[in-house]
Amino acid sequence: MDTHNVQRLEALLETVQRPSRYTGGEVNAIVKEWKEGRTTFCFAFPDTYEVAMSHLGMKVIYAAVNREDDLLCERAMMPWVDLLEGLKKEKLPLFSLESRRALSDFDCVGFTLQYEMSYTNILTMLDLGGIALESKNRAEDAPIVIAGGPCAFNPEPLHSVIDAFLLGDGETATGELLRAIGKGRKEGKTRLEILRDLAKIEGVYVPALYEIIYKEDGTLASVTPSLPEARKPIKKRLELDLDAAFFPGETPLPFTEAVHDRIVLEVMRGCTRGCRFCQAGMLYRPVRERSVEKLVELAQSLFQSTGYEEMSLSSLSTGDYTQLLPLISSLNQNFEGKMVSLSLPSLRIDNQLQDALVDTAKVKKSGLTLAPEAGTQRLRDVINKGVTEEDLMRSVSEAFEAGWSQVKLYFMIGLPTETDEDLLGIADLARKVVGAYFALPKEKRAKGLKVVVSASTFVPKPFTPFQWAAQDTLEEIKRKQSLLRSALNIRGVTFNWHDPETSFLEACFARGDRKLAMVLLRAYELGCKLDGWNEHFKYDAWMQAFSDTGVDPAFYANRVREKSELLPWEIADIGVTKAYLWLENERALRGDITPDCRAGCEGCGLRRFDGVCPV
Amino acid sequence: MKMVASFQKLGPHRFIGHLDLQRAMQRALRRADIPVVYSQGFNPHLLLSFAAPLSVGIEGEHEVMELPLQNNITETEFVEKMNAVLPQGMKVVAAKLVTDDTAPAMARLAAAVYHISAENGFQALEAALPGFMNQSTIPYLKKTKSGERMDDFRPLVYNLTLKDGVLQAVLAITQQGTAKPDQLMGLLCAHAGMAVPRLSIKRARLLDERFAPLV
Repeated sequence: MDTHNVQRLEALLETVQRPSRYTGGEVNAIVKEWKEGRTTFCFAFPDTYEVAMSHLGMKVIYAAVNREDDLLCERAMMPWVDLLEGLKKEKLPLFSLESRRALSDFDCVGFTLQYEMSYTNILTMLDLGGIALESKNRAEDAPIVIAGGPCAFNPEPLHSVIDAFLLGDGETATGELLRAIGKGRKEGKTRLEILRDLAKIEGVYVPALYEIIYKEDGTLASVTPSLPEARKPIKKRLELDLDAAFFPGETPLPFTEAVHDRIVLEVMRGCTRGCRFCQAGMLYRPVRERSVEKLVELAQSLFQSTGYEEMSLSSLSTGDYTQLLPLISSLNQNFEGKMVSLSLPSLRIDNQLQDALVDTAKVKKSGLTLAPEAGTQRLRDVINKGVTEEDLMRSVSEAFEAGWSQVKLYFMIGLPTETDEDLLGIADLARKVVGAYFALPKEKRAKGLKVVVSASTFVPKPFTPFQWAAQDTLEEIKRKQSLLRSALNIRGVTFNWHDPETSFLEACFARGDRKLAMVLLRAYELGCKLDGWNEHFKYDAWMQAFSDTGVDPAFYANRVREKSELLPWEIADIGVTKAYLWLENERALRGDITPDCRAGCEGCGLRRFDGVCPV
Repeated sequence: MKMVASFQKLGPHRFIGHLDLQRAMQRALRRADIPVVYSQGFNPHLLLSFAAPLSVGIEGEHEVMELPLQNNITETEFVEKMNAVLPQGMKVVAAKLVTDDTAPAMARLAAAVYHISAENGFQALEAALPGFMNQSTIPYLKKTKSGERMDDFRPLVYNLTLKDGVLQAVLAITQQGTAKPDQLMGLLCAHAGMAVPRLSIKRARLLDERFAPLV
């Protein structure tokens, strides 16, 4: 940005809410020189600064890329509406936090796809950043636009927007992509030549290199590589040894408070519990643990570089981390007197663990959060959530005895095979939790009982045993919500639910094909953005986008797929096979449970990847 | 002993709000391994206070903070350790050890020096300055928690001088009354019969009742 523009931007920043979101200059931010031979990458997070700076993946990639001398990584986020309007009015581009360059100045711009409802933000950021929305309209010297993250495993709804997708772990692969782009640029290659080079990298999907044919009924007929570089299927990238995988000891420290503003230690990646609704549980197999030594070393370095007051242990199922107790005691030992509290996500509170917690009393006494997900044992068996009512009531009673008075219970509504009886089971469970509190003598219980029951709407996701299932219609979800609302009219219980319209759209995009890209572009034209923020979500505009493009949302959200149907996301090979997912789907419908595979291989298909599966 | 220190809040850091600044400084003290003191109780917090919050958008050259110490550390050591962990534009400028019974910086504070510059200079205002200062009273609408009322601004303005195109204003910050630079500019420009130009404001110093710097 030239001096004149910098002055206009400074003036603009004085008029917006929380301007320190846009200034960069945080402690541990890395500002590298733009010099010859250095490939420039802008990590673009399609949500606001507060959300972006809570995201561990961005911090990892940012530091991993910046430690390489021939690469440079800066950050850009979705501006809030005040700055967004201001930039448009002043004709200023969306800029990176570090060097305040327009997104269009970079060799490569990369988006992380955490949530389907952030897709219109990607278009907004490209547009404001001076990059054509669609790959086919991009100038030869425009940045190569890449994307990764969990939603990249069904890349098709963004096929015309993103030039290349990376499927799987990004620590090593991001650098490979950037070097290929840098090399191509240096050698004066065309965009297509560079994209062909990217397609040669394991885990990379370049949608332009495939021909897609649909059947008359709208389902897929075939997906055919049109050039020899195009892989099929695309095997996900894996970092097998987490101790060896890069993890930063210094992360940018936001001035304005992020949603999660603390040290986050990723103790483990992957989960083998096999909950049938859970996409992450399938995508991130196998389970890989970080060692206690490595984690303590990282914790010390992160504390020294940030001064954070809080530390959390992160993974899909931290209670399953085999070294949890040694880790907690080692952290407590190492942070003695440093005033760092350790916050743990909802765990199975077994006795041993409780002793460790009471022992130290340094663990923050926030509320207890449990996720039974369904109200009856029958339905919990269907979704393979290995939690019994007995487990749950024991955890809750122990928590009340230990001085907690707040419990959050998470459920989903609209799960396959769900009946009204299952819904009433939620109320029944809530009533029992309240009962457990009042069962304690008055002098023994903490004041202020608060049981929060949250019910989200089930969204069937690709690569889960429910990938063939229909989502309940909006009418049905609303009926179920109102049924629950009256059933949960219990003293001490608060019921939270969400507007199901967002979940309906999420369901369309989660299992969408290439036709959804037209809908997305049209919705953007109609003014859709910040869809994940309730106050900005324009459901009517979205419905108009579907109707303008002649695409039926119910085809994606509310349709049961046949076993034989070719699914748009089959281009990706996540390790777990379609045959296994179908088997799990059948077991679900029978209510048969599948044990955690650490007790014995269940044949999910991961063993096809050489030496990957530790089980 | 207590440490009283002055620090900068320059450039982009002028956009950091007061609560965010508190948190940022507390974390810096922790990174620098300063022997800080925590409050007692269920949720202990690091004891640190600031002489006067600075409005978002205004730069500070010598903002003042104060903290009790667990054990002794020299002034030089404090400055060096802090500056090793603070970002550019937020460095500690001076530090002074004082005894625990010294009145808190916040209580000693009486006035602040502001440096105000305008987009196109202050030529148009220069002639109006003496007239503005010679008024016996300057009525203004004071906003308080309980509502709005008319009050006199004149006693809150100690001095105004124009030097090299920059307006230097010494304004009161006391329990009885505080004058803010944007209020001053509003009244001054109204007096001169002109619109308020785009300003850049810097708080240069915080002063005690003898008009000596707090640190």
